Amino acid sequence: MNCSELYLPLALGVPFVASLLLLVLGRRLPAALQTLTAGAGFLVPAALAVAAWAQFSCAMDPETGYAYLVNLPLGLQAMTGEAENKPVYLGLLLFMVSGLLGVFASVDIFFFYFFHEFALIPTFILMLYWGGLGRKVAAIQMAVYLTLGAMVSLAGIVLLVLWSGAGSFNLLKLKAELLAMPMEAGAQTVVFGLLLLGFGVLVSLFPFHSWAPDAYTEAPTPVSMLHAGVLKKFGLYGLIQLGALLLPAGLAHWAPVLFWLALGNILLIGFVTMSQRHLKSMLSYSSVMHMGPCFLGIFAFALSGGDTAGLGAAVMMMFAHGLSVALLFALSHAIYRRTGTLEFAENGGLAKYAPVLGGFFVAATMASIGLPGFANFWGELGIFVSLGQLPVWKLVLVVSSIVISAIYGLRAVAAVFFGPASENTAARGETIRDISPAERLVAVVLLAALVAVGFYPRLVSGSLDAALPKEFPPTAVGLRLCPHCGDAHATTGAHPEHP
Amino acid sequence: MTCSPENLLFALLAIPLASAVISGLFFRRSRWGAPIVSCTAALAILVAAVKLLFSLAPGETLHFSHNWLTLGSFNLNIGFLLDQNAATMLFVVSFVAFWIHIFSVGYMDDDAARGRFFTGLSIFMFSILGIVVADNLYMTFIFWELVGFSSYMLIAHYFDKDYAAMASKKAFITNRVGDLGFLVGIILCQVTYGTVSLAELGAAGVEKSTLIGLLLMCGFLGKSAQFPLHVWLTDAMAGPTPVSALIHAATMVAAGVFFMVRIFFLLTEPVLTVMLWGCAGMAALAGLCALGQTDIKKSLAYSPLSHLGFMGAAIGLGAPEIALLHMGMHAFFKATLFLCSGSVIHACHHEQDMTKMGGLWKKMPVTFVAFLVASLSICAFPWMAGWYSKDMILSKALLVGNYPALALLLLAALGSALYMGRMLQLVFLGKANSEHAAHAHESSAWMTLPLVVLGVVYSLGAGWSLLGDKVAWLGGKMTGLLPSASILSFAEEYHHLHEQLAEAGQVTLMLAVGVAILVIGLGGAIWFYRQTPGADALQRKFPKAYFVLEYRWMDTLYNAYIAKVQQPVANLLGLLDKVLINGIAVRGFGAGFPALLGLLSRRLLHTGNLHHYVFWFALGALLYGAVLLVDWANLFCCAQ
Repeated sequence: MNCSELYLPLALGVPFVASLLLLVLGRRLPAALQTLTAGAGFLVPAALAVAAWAQFSCAMDPETGYAYLVNLPLGLQAMTGEAENKPVYLGLLLFMVSGLLGVFASVDIFFFYFFHEFALIPTFILMLYWGGLGRKVAAIQMAVYLTLGAMVSLAGIVLLVLWSGAGSFNLLKLKAELLAMPMEAGAQTVVFGLLLLGFGVLVSLFPFHSWAPDAYTEAPTPVSMLHAGVLKKFGLYGLIQLGALLLPAGLAHWAPVLFWLALGNILLIGFVTMSQRHLKSMLSYSSVMHMGPCFLGIFAFALSGGDTAGLGAAVMMMFAHGLSVALLFALSHAIYRRTGTLEFAENGGLAKYAPVLGGFFVAATMASIGLPGFANFWGELGIFVSLGQLPVWKLVLVVSSIVISAIYGLRAVAAVFFGPASENTAARGETIRDISPAERLVAVVLLAALVAVGFYPRLVSGSLDAALPKEFPPTAVGLRLCPHCGDAHATTGAHPEHP
Repeated sequence: MTCSPENLLFALLAIPLASAVISGLFFRRSRWGAPIVSCTAALAILVAAVKLLFSLAPGETLHFSHNWLTLGSFNLNIGFLLDQNAATMLFVVSFVAFWIHIFSVGYMDDDAARGRFFTGLSIFMFSILGIVVADNLYMTFIFWELVGFSSYMLIAHYFDKDYAAMASKKAFITNRVGDLGFLVGIILCQVTYGTVSLAELGAAGVEKSTLIGLLLMCGFLGKSAQFPLHVWLTDAMAGPTPVSALIHAATMVAAGVFFMVRIFFLLTEPVLTVMLWGCAGMAALAGLCALGQTDIKKSLAYSPLSHLGFMGAAIGLGAPEIALLHMGMHAFFKATLFLCSGSVIHACHHEQDMTKMGGLWKKMPVTFVAFLVASLSICAFPWMAGWYSKDMILSKALLVGNYPALALLLLAALGSALYMGRMLQLVFLGKANSEHAAHAHESSAWMTLPLVVLGVVYSLGAGWSLLGDKVAWLGGKMTGLLPSASILSFAEEYHHLHEQLAEAGQVTLMLAVGVAILVIGLGGAIWFYRQTPGADALQRKFPKAYFVLEYRWMDTLYNAYIAKVQQPVANLLGLLDKVLINGIAVRGFGAGFPALLGLLSRRLLHTGNLHHYVFWFALGALLYGAVLLVDWANLFCCAQ
């Protein structure tokens, strides 16, 4: 028997069992055993991901591998951080982790959905008990909003399964069925509309984003890292796998709407991000903004008439954004530990006392604003290039995201780390220590992944590109948007009235 | 591993990258570690570059390309294209950079953050060399952005000062505004021509497009600090002086010019016209505004602005080779001028106000001589490096018959002579005007050696290499100053223009005009500024003129835009997001929907009236029965 068959059950099972152990036994376990249990829960999936990667080189799709890998820094962050009633805290986090790993391991759409809900429950509890000052409102708002979004997407999924005639929730069967006999356009429109709304809420598509900034600002750092970094990508993953690839005509119908909403993410939320005066809420808004280009990657699939460049770049961007936003949340927590505040006005000049932390923060900011050399750049560039058929003025609006993100990113760096020391920072000056080994390990792991892919994108793009076109031959898509007005237009290309 | 050209090109990028990683990770606190690693890397780069250039036959082009990323139809290659123009730029960058690295060892000797500084320099080398050898526009864009980052990092070297924090942010964001247009231009290139490879674009003889040309020009406007994106360059002087010399005077800002020369075949007539007027105007404006600053580096900062304007104007006039020639010559004398100012600042204990200097020529003779030679070169003293290029740009304007442009450029040339004369007078001549200046002494050999090489040898002699074997001075040895592979293209163009000028019978005229400007400008400034020691004569005598030349209005305008437009809009949108979307739409819905249901249920369902309950029960039972009946009927019919 091939022992690699055990990888998946082990990767899902170990965190789950560890979580149950911690939740049930809690403090009755000796401290060393608690640490060991939690450590195993975080470490095993990551180790197995590396083993699988080494063994099959490209056997795993990148989101999945990444979802597994990100546990390591997350676990470190959580285990070294301070929290009340730590065993329960870690147990809930592991519960969340096992749900999340389930999401990306599912071949069956029902379980795909189920594991997402499974991961949302501990998210809610963690926020409610370990969050910041405004945690109650934010947690309830998020729980209600996300549950509603998930319900709408569930309706879409159920209709998809019913109308496809596949009679099964199995993704592979669905694909085969729909490839052989696509659904009629009207049905596709309805299902895609539901999926877009439902998943849009989960991925904070404008204007359904307002749960995200509050939630990420108030949630304990590991939860923000995990949700913004990985769990949120559930929606995009679903929208690509079920929406774009299975329902191309539905996508074509909704594409113009999708474009304007995603532009809302970039421009409107971009400006809102600029107006933030608190580091964590700025990061939260920026994470909403960065979903704009991801959605546009999906839009590009319709615009280009089935070219998977946009989809691939969107996945790349998801991956990179997940890493960079997790890194930024971890670093912002490190800042908070030192200065006791994340208000821009009360911070300043921290780099003098904590230069290495400053260096990491600058690097993380540069990654998140899409500097070449970090993974995010390839995602952004690929998405922008795949949108090349847009009219120039629309393209300029989209690409202006590189200016907007530079403005808020550098402003945050300058406010916290540069300039003369603020009163608050100077008063604590003597006691401020530079980045600790544990914090450094978290940052190095995340940053190393960003840089590795930044310099050698094929680490991710190779398997991505191999996976996408095979799953859906471009010729079978049969959709195209008019390059002049951006409206859906079946197969023929441009509207006849446009020259 | 063999020394094939391809390996050498790879080494050009790998060496600085390795140096950055090593000095950044391991020598952050060490006093000598980072300087040694970085200077060794700079030397290795210079050796590799020179070896490459000497192995390159004149007229030969190297081209390699490797696929780096494929997603659907999106293909990105990393490749090298080394032609004559790139060879010039490669030599200038690696040569000037090496000497500035040496200078930095002396200049930064009292700085605690040397590790970070030299790491930044190495990252910069990696990025600029990437631009030079890039064979396609995506790759250019990648290194273009990286250059912006290294500039940001180095301007922010003294990050605990407010002005450095401000200036670094401003430089990066302004450059990104340019890059926005640049990137859109690249994408349009891909969509229109189906390729972004420079070699393929050049070979295909594509149909030019004004829109693409203008968009690509945005990148140049940002990087080479031309109107209206020039505002960052003068503030960028907040960085250490070697950085100003290398990045913000000699090489990085010239990368914009280099790039425009490289894509010259894509530029249409309207694009060239825009470039000509924008750049010629900038040349004249910046040349005069240098008179309105008392900070030595800030005043000097207007000089690259002005000379980048010269280069842009040369491209606009249709003489890209001459633009490149000026880029090369300018790199030598401008780097020297900045390094001299660094030497002076270092000697005067970081005093940067020129009115507090004076009389330094006796105390710092080597610096003074280098400064003098470089000044004469920038003012186009005949047979010095700057003369060959600048005179040719003026001649080109004359030959084309574009007299308004010629007038602007002559004004700019006069400006150069004026501000150099002023600087000579305020800093080196006259008497010491402060304690620091009185006790200044010559800098260490780390600093003076680069001054001698770049300042005296190259500012004086680089132009002679143009003459080739036509002049027997020094036994024709001066041609060895530049690798022949790097001078071929513009030497041809230079001689071609010179012949045209001779045919038109204007050689003597241009020489006379040039000398007249030099004498009037330099002499006039030295005479004018010697009248008020310890103060700026223009400020004393004509405060209004001085105020105009201080050139604050562009900054005022942009600051007003940020404070009055951008930030209020952002705040308003933030408020709307909170109130409209989160407040009314979401929470309103969240609170209103249950409330509505509650209302309905209170009014209709839970009324407390038994008759109502009976009614609802009966209605529900009926509905249920009807559904069952329909179902059953269906089943029955289908079974039939």
